[in-house]
Amino acid sequence: MTTENPKLIGLVCERSVDFKGHLDDEGNMLDHPSVKIIRVPCSGQIQPVMLETALKNGANGTFALGCRMGDCHYREGNKFCRDRLIGKRMPKLKPSVDKRRVQGYWLSAVEYDKLSELVGQFVEDCKSLPAPEVKSTAKAAK
Amino acid sequence: MYTEPLQNATLWLERGLNKLFSQKYNPFYYHGALPNFFIWALFISGLLLFAYYQPTLATAYASVRYITYELPFGNLFRSIHRYASDGMMIFVILHMFRVWFTDRYREYRIVPWVTGVVLLIITFIVGLSGYLLIWDQEAVTLANMTFNLVGKTPFVGAALAEALMAGKMITDYTLTRMMFLHLGIPLFMMFMLWLHYLRITRPVSEPPLALVVMLSGVLFLFSAAFPVELGVLTNMSDPAAAPLLTAVSPNVYFDLLYAWPQYLAAHNVAPLLVVLLVIAVPVGLLILPYLQKKALRDQFAVVTRENCTGCSLCYNDCPYEAIEMVDRGNDGTRFKRLAVVDPGRCANCGLCVGACAFKAIEIPRRDTNNVLAEIEAALTVS
Repeated sequence: MTTENPKLIGLVCERSVDFKGHLDDEGNMLDHPSVKIIRVPCSGQIQPVMLETALKNGANGTFALGCRMGDCHYREGNKFCRDRLIGKRMPKLKPSVDKRRVQGYWLSAVEYDKLSELVGQFVEDCKSLPAPEVKSTAKAAK
Repeated sequence: MYTEPLQNATLWLERGLNKLFSQKYNPFYYHGALPNFFIWALFISGLLLFAYYQPTLATAYASVRYITYELPFGNLFRSIHRYASDGMMIFVILHMFRVWFTDRYREYRIVPWVTGVVLLIITFIVGLSGYLLIWDQEAVTLANMTFNLVGKTPFVGAALAEALMAGKMITDYTLTRMMFLHLGIPLFMMFMLWLHYLRITRPVSEPPLALVVMLSGVLFLFSAAFPVELGVLTNMSDPAAAPLLTAVSPNVYFDLLYAWPQYLAAHNVAPLLVVLLVIAVPVGLLILPYLQKKALRDQFAVVTRENCTGCSLCYNDCPYEAIEMVDRGNDGTRFKRLAVVDPGRCANCGLCVGACAFKAIEIPRRDTNNVLAEIEAALTVS
């Protein structure tokens, strides 16, 4: 079973990849219109529950994007975020989360081309995964 | 903001370096730690030089010549000491420019910046005094011109020059004073480094082992392949008759960093102007953080008392020592401790928000509930 048009949510650090001129009015990427970008001040602010919420509400995939390892503006945000994604730091991503649907990218402000390529790959990967079951329909319909 | 193109230039440079060194060993990600490597290299190589150096006008040059040409491995150690000092200068200045260009030098980072400027001054004093200790003709010339220039400082000039020279003229005591500056001021440097790290929870104070090994190898091989030479001493009896430093001699590559005031003075720039220029450098660096508009407008993380369980996750994660766990008293909950934010230290970065599993801490500029609502909204529409 495959998904035709997977919907992706990207939680993005303000200081990493510069999306100026790469987003439409809704906050979707122009290169990959099914990818919605949501910004936070630092990837260290991304709680695993945010990624879980995205998947629970029907996203086919979700990713965190922070600065290059070693170059976090707030010193350690991207490292902590990465460690939470791979289950090395509290609070962790729930074990029940399908890890194929979660990605972490670590790129600097001048590396949009690289990100676009990686996200394109992720979109392709999500196409081969089955459509997710929406667990909290009641909440989403509210 | 004017720093944006500078920051992008830095990031492009690092993008290239990442390809060369890989992200893990990119020296630009250890720009603050690398000077520490050189401090160790300088300390170890300096110990041997210290054992054989004699700080008197009559013997200083001869003892350096003995170290250079007769002592087994003496010149290797001297070369390592010399090249490590160049490396220190390069990386200290790189560190300064990088934190400036990437906007990491103001507001909640003001303490590391100010102590950094002091450390920069200290590094220059240590470098200059070390150079003078050699007491060859260049050192004698530089000494004369430095003391002359210092003497031209408004109000405190005469006293300062006398303190530097340990008297009204260059004597044996002058070299002893230089030796004190070269060995004693680095101790003060350790104290300043402590202040430099004070507000940082986990400072990156050492580069990765692989980088240390590589740098040690480069330093060692470079020193063995290009041992430093010793200049001549033409006029030992009358140091004051030394020629002016009008041209940059071939073996002062990096020395220009601290010889430029003397170079200007030798080219008929008014001494007072040169002194003011020298003073303007650190003063300018100290003013720099206040030239930009405040980005955060005095916002800081807010703890919701009812939700806080006192679990210390935010306290562990805060990179700026801005969160303290305090005794919460008897407030009807079963928890003992409470997270409290120090507004003066908070960077408003949200790392504590990411660490909190109980929605107990928020930064005003990006509320977790808004992020969650945005995620849900994005998925409901389609």
